[in-house]
Amino acid sequence: MSTLNVMGKEIALDKDGYLLELDDWSPAVAEALAAREQIALGEAHWEILELLRRFYAEFQLSPATRPLIRYTAQQLGPEKGNSLHLNQLFHGTPAKLAAKLAGLPKPTNCI
Amino acid sequence: MAKSLLLICRRSPWSGPGAREALDVALAGGAFDLPISLLFLDDGVFQLKPAQQPAAVQQKDLTANLQALPLFGVEALYVARADLDSRGLSAEHLSLPATPVEDAHLAALLDQHDLVITL
Amino acid sequence: MATLHLLSRSPFVDLSGASCLRLLGAGDGLLLTGDAVYALQADSRPFAVLSALPADRPLFALAEDLEARGIAAPDFVQAIDYAEFVELTLRFERVNSWL
Repeated sequence: MSTLNVMGKEIALDKDGYLLELDDWSPAVAEALAAREQIALGEAHWEILELLRRFYAEFQLSPATRPLIRYTAQQLGPEKGNSLHLNQLFHGTPAKLAAKLAGLPKPTNCI
Repeated sequence: MAKSLLLICRRSPWSGPGAREALDVALAGGAFDLPISLLFLDDGVFQLKPAQQPAAVQQKDLTANLQALPLFGVEALYVARADLDSRGLSAEHLSLPATPVEDAHLAALLDQHDLVITL
Repeated sequence: MATLHLLSRSPFVDLSGASCLRLLGAGDGLLLTGDAVYALQADSRPFAVLSALPADRPLFALAEDLEARGIAAPDFVQAIDYAEFVELTLRFERVNSWL
């Protein structure tokens, strides 16, 4: 377990760097988490993070890779809902990394 | 060719870990594109009852999780019609679209799969 | 084609036996273990149901579980030991355990 300092506030993280309290999430927290992963969040990233937060609100779980791709294709179209696009945005592990930046729990059922 | 699996879900969402375990098997298998079907039997049909409020007993929302099954590639969902009937549920008002199966056709459903797990 | 169903709970406290019979097709087998062998208690209701099963649904029970409970295997049931149990699981295409 570690913490992340965002604008003077200590945010608790688990051993893999996921938020312990999902309510701690804010865009500023996402920026700080992304910086730890050497990612500068652009519009294409935000679109996926927002999508993931909607996924979690609806299904109460973090998607594995295939469901994430399917859901993205369904919501944003096939040119974004494919593994190439998502891998490029999130260092080749979109389900894990995007969930982390979106403040969701680590996806289970995911290698 | 991967072996096909029929998961028989017999537990209500509230009776212990059974319902959750069955769902985890389905989601894990679906995430790896295994051909998985679900049959809701006995109190398992209560997993499909709409408008349940898990927060009232501090539990995670199994019904919300179940909605993710199609996205995980698990789309073959069956429910025993007799158990819906005896529990006052209607196939038209379930939280997920599941195909009702008469008792006389249950054995054939098992025959269509390589493996069967009852939870 | 055929499934071997494994039951282990008493028919007097658990629905698994009754539900299993709804799934039992021609050629499928039923193996009673543990408290499920109480279904063979003479003059009981489950006994009557099982004795009326068609002959193409073979019925087995673990001999030692019967013995421990003082129940004799009726003529429509084949009592088996663990070696035969293993052999039986290989004879059927799939095995379904009712937990």
